[in-house]
Amino acid sequence: MSRVFDELTNFARARSLFILHYCTGCGAIELPPVMTSRFDMERLGVSPMVTPRQADILLVTGYVSIKTLKRVMLTYEQMGSPKYVIGICSCTVNGGMYWQSYATAKRLDEYMPVDLYIAGCMPRPEAVISGLRELMKKIEQGEANSWKEYYRNYDYYLGNQQHLFGDQWQTPVDVIGEAEHYGLVGDGTRGEHTALLEQVQHPLKPLEMRL
Amino acid sequence: MNMDAFTPWLDALCGRIDGMVVACSDLAQRRSRIDLPSEELTTLLEAAKGEMGFVHLSAISCVDWIEEGEFELVYHLWSYEQNQLLSIHIRVARDLGRFQSVYDLYRPAGFFERDIHEMYGLYFEGAPDMEKFILTEWNGPPPMRKDFDSEAFVGETFDWQQYNPEWLQEIVAAGGGVVVPPTEQRFSQRKKVDGPDWSGDHPQAKRGQE
Ligand code: SF4
Repeated sequence: MSRVFDELTNFARARSLFILHYCTGCGAIELPPVMTSRFDMERLGVSPMVTPRQADILLVTGYVSIKTLKRVMLTYEQMGSPKYVIGICSCTVNGGMYWQSYATAKRLDEYMPVDLYIAGCMPRPEAVISGLRELMKKIEQGEANSWKEYYRNYDYYLGNQQHLFGDQWQTPVDVIGEAEHYGLVGDGTRGEHTALLEQVQHPLKPLEMRL
Repeated sequence: MNMDAFTPWLDALCGRIDGMVVACSDLAQRRSRIDLPSEELTTLLEAAKGEMGFVHLSAISCVDWIEEGEFELVYHLWSYEQNQLLSIHIRVARDLGRFQSVYDLYRPAGFFERDIHEMYGLYFEGAPDMEKFILTEWNGPPPMRKDFDSEAFVGETFDWQQYNPEWLQEIVAAGGGVVVPPTEQRFSQRKKVDGPDWSGDHPQAKRGQE
């Protein structure tokens, strides 16, 4: 009985996806045609959403500089589960044409689990649509579970983040607490990096504005 | 103000400031380049701002001449009265790593100097703020200096995806996919191959001469 129910939720989930409207690199240029009447992603039940808390899909549309990656991480952690990450563009796969740049992160999947990559520099709207269909298929079959990976292997992802952002890195989200809540604590949830995080963690203050 | 006052003013200025070299071209009549010893910079800026209305400092650019051990600073000034662009070039010793700020003359210089300090590590004395500006997440050496090896840094800092994973081999075996190994793709790693030598004369240029 519960399997039937699962299938039903998966079916429903796959048909109502909200993409967080957060664009990082140049690949975002291909999204307006995907959204608007020519390719019309709303016919698939996919539409844009303005806040991370109500969105299902985080589209990372191209290169992420280290500075942007910080914001992407904050955004990702704020999204409610289940959440899916799509990496559009070669830049998210392996640095793309910015492979040599000191400022961009190379592999997105070192910092957050990625469900699906759409390669290309930049991928055409058709490719984006077919990628979305692929994701829908995965969700329907219950295979798009990368968000669970994040809780199970939090230590690994946190370690890579600390490597880039420094040891003082912390986010407002209590990921381990959430992992306990979902019952997704795995072997990789806690480790040396989370121990370091617990040491340096301090209550967050509003950012100082300065010119 | 008289539009024709600019050239005589520039000529007179050459007499007043030692070591000043002016270059103008016929093609760009509204542009002049001035090369100057760095100690004379403030004198020139004061004169340009006060006498000819060069009130707009649109950028300060920096060039790292590592072999000569110098930074070149270029101050781009615009005068709305003369409709003229002045590029003032000075050289500063690279080892010293300090120069004086022009913030008291031009407020926007604060941003430009902060940026140069971040990118080249050249400290400006008298600037209001030399903190991090854009690269807030950066702890390495100033990245635009010529002695910073971006490729080595990237190699140390990041891991790479496999270039020829199994699933791609399957696709290639089925007749699809494009596999270009990094050794052929990246200029710095590319092997020298037989064939036309593109480094020297362009073959097409040669054809033109025949
Ligand atoms: S893969 Fe190409 S289009 Fe996409 S972000 Fe990188 S450079 Fe831009």
